Amino acid sequence: MSSRATALRRLMTEYKQLTANGAPDNMFTAGPISEDNFFEWEALIMGPKDTPYEGGVFAAKLTFPSDYPLSPFKMKFDPPLFHPNIYKDGNVCISILHAPGDDPTGYELSSERWSPVQSVEKVLLSVVSMLAEPNLESGANIDCCKVYRENRPEFERIVRQQIRDMLGV
Amino acid sequence: MSDYMSEESDGEYYYDDDEVMGSDRAEDEDTEESEGEEADYGSMEMSVTALSKPKKKVYEVDYECLATSDIDKSMAKEAELLCSMLGVDISTSYQLLRFMNWNKEKLIDKFMEDPDAVKEKAGIADTPPKFTLPSVAPPPAPAPAPVASSSSSNSRRTTRSSNKTAAPPPPVVDEGWSCPICCCEPEPPTGVMALECNHAFCTDCWQTYLTGKIREEGEHSIRCMESGCNDLVSDTVILGTVPDAPKEGSVVLDDETKDKFKELLVRFFVQCNSALRFCPAPGCDYTVQCAAASTKSSLETTVPTVRCTNGHSFCFGCGEEGDHRPLICTIAKLWLKKCQDDSETANWIKTNTKECPKCHSTIEKNGGCNHMTCKKCKNEFCWVCMGPWSEHGNAWYSCNRYEEKEGVDARDAQSKSRASLERYLHYYNRWANHEQSARLSLDLYAKTEKKMQEMQETSELTWIQVQFAKKAVDEVIKCRMTLKWTYAMGYYLEKSNQKELFEDNQRDLEKAVEALSELLERPIEPETVASLRQQITDKTVYVLKRNEVMLEDTANGFLEGRWAWNTSISPFIE
Repeated sequence: MSSRATALRRLMTEYKQLTANGAPDNMFTAGPISEDNFFEWEALIMGPKDTPYEGGVFAAKLTFPSDYPLSPFKMKFDPPLFHPNIYKDGNVCISILHAPGDDPTGYELSSERWSPVQSVEKVLLSVVSMLAEPNLESGANIDCCKVYRENRPEFERIVRQQIRDMLGV
Repeated sequence: MSDYMSEESDGEYYYDDDEVMGSDRAEDEDTEESEGEEADYGSMEMSVTALSKPKKKVYEVDYECLATSDIDKSMAKEAELLCSMLGVDISTSYQLLRFMNWNKEKLIDKFMEDPDAVKEKAGIADTPPKFTLPSVAPPPAPAPAPVASSSSSNSRRTTRSSNKTAAPPPPVVDEGWSCPICCCEPEPPTGVMALECNHAFCTDCWQTYLTGKIREEGEHSIRCMESGCNDLVSDTVILGTVPDAPKEGSVVLDDETKDKFKELLVRFFVQCNSALRFCPAPGCDYTVQCAAASTKSSLETTVPTVRCTNGHSFCFGCGEEGDHRPLICTIAKLWLKKCQDDSETANWIKTNTKECPKCHSTIEKNGGCNHMTCKKCKNEFCWVCMGPWSEHGNAWYSCNRYEEKEGVDARDAQSKSRASLERYLHYYNRWANHEQSARLSLDLYAKTEKKMQEMQETSELTWIQVQFAKKAVDEVIKCRMTLKWTYAMGYYLEKSNQKELFEDNQRDLEKAVEALSELLERPIEPETVASLRQQITDKTVYVLKRNEVMLEDTANGFLEGRWAWNTSISPFIE
């Protein structure tokens, strides 16, 4: 059986489960952008409460490889989000989306990384908690890390400003 | 080892031969030695006494070469011992040992303390499964379990707890179950497998997972696929050696992957055991056991050069191929690193060039006056004071005064930097020269082969009688290796009387080797071939002896702590 067929079946199952059960606390929604192409999804994530991101709704694009779930998918915030673990182009740097064996930062445990038993739901939950608690040890946006560490009010101000710009208020 | 022995007995043979043969040899040697120091005679006598003893020399180590099957046996031996001691089955014993990095004592200690904790940490569960999948059906109490499920559970149970006679465990999956990874709906039991933890996946996914872990990541202890689950996949599952296993519901890996897995097990065992080391030669799967060099501190005084059954020689201490005697591993490594670094290039640039004060291009002045015009940025400046040239043509000219003080300092700094560079180059050139000669050894062998052929044709010498030439080439190559490393050693030796003695030994050996090399280049003429043979044979023995002296003296020096280094080597000894 081709890996693409496996990927498609798995993606359909995940989509079905997500729509049927919904996300915990409605923290996010996710699904294919178009039913013609199950390998491109869009996710909408609510900014977690009691963080500078509260009140924002962030759109991200999920791109699945044809050998999913053996390889992880890619996640890119569009527009990019100001956060220590999100690259300036919007790509998310999180250990759960790194395939074992390829470790860009050098100190992630194999057990924290992608494995085929992970799912879109688990990854998005991890991203939500990453928004609330950035991991400064493996920063993707170094400038943002610096602001976060040295001038927290400034960091919060930039994030809030960004959310206002996004919402157009 | 047998190679060594035969070489040595050859040496003895030549030696005896010489004693009988001719006094002209002794004369020859006398002229060689006439400029030598007394200390040399002393060490020579020492080597003579050492030679007459059949026992191993001070610069050699005891070692044994093992094949993979020998390693397998010693692994099995340890595992079986643990089996009876801890009362676990053989597969568990292997896994526990691997978990503890084959540290038997530590494992026994911990296991005696709390067997369950050790087992749990190692991921060996023989407790009832704690987790249940949402799709796992509750065990139908007395009702007859579906035939399919029970045989599936049977297949996975046999993997580890064959000695268990308890009631059949709950079925792994329900009808209509689908694999959480690929979402396929295999026909239980053939398509489903779960470990003790009851995390069920289809066998296709298991197969992909295990193959990837073994082939791509090289893991020898593989956990259950479920994230966060600590359960180990047992060796019997991977190797397909589940005792009386039904074919269904089990993973079948291809032979290549199984072989790779076995190799990983052996590699890990060797890695954990400091008295074992793999032969670094590509494709060679022999392992050398050398207890004498298993500790870091022993490497400060010995250079454990070993040779595997395939004839690859390497250093047991650092895994460097070839032979870096007489220099110990740490300093040999230091030297190699220094030679690889382009720090010396930078040193040269610093010594010979200056930078344009404006655009910072590197400029080497190779003649002409001090009025420099940068080719790149057209900046005009004075080579001596580096100031702009425009000031030199008018009344403020001050280059001469500037030079008085700063110029002297600059010259001093420059000559100092040049001296250290020249010192390095002195040793490096000689080191590289011997390396180059050794690299050409294949050519030399081919040439000698031809000569030996020629000798047999033009003179009455028989095949056995012309072997002296090959023997001489062997010796030259061996000595060049020693000489090469003596230059690296010389670079790091602190100037002292000991170093002078060392250099005398080095000089004698080098002179003898060069003389022998030259003899080997001589044309073969029927009338002189007999005397040439005599000369080469004599010289070979002499060279062999000088090499012994060199190696023995340096080895003793390490044992006695006689060598003083001009660099701090302690940080490199972990």
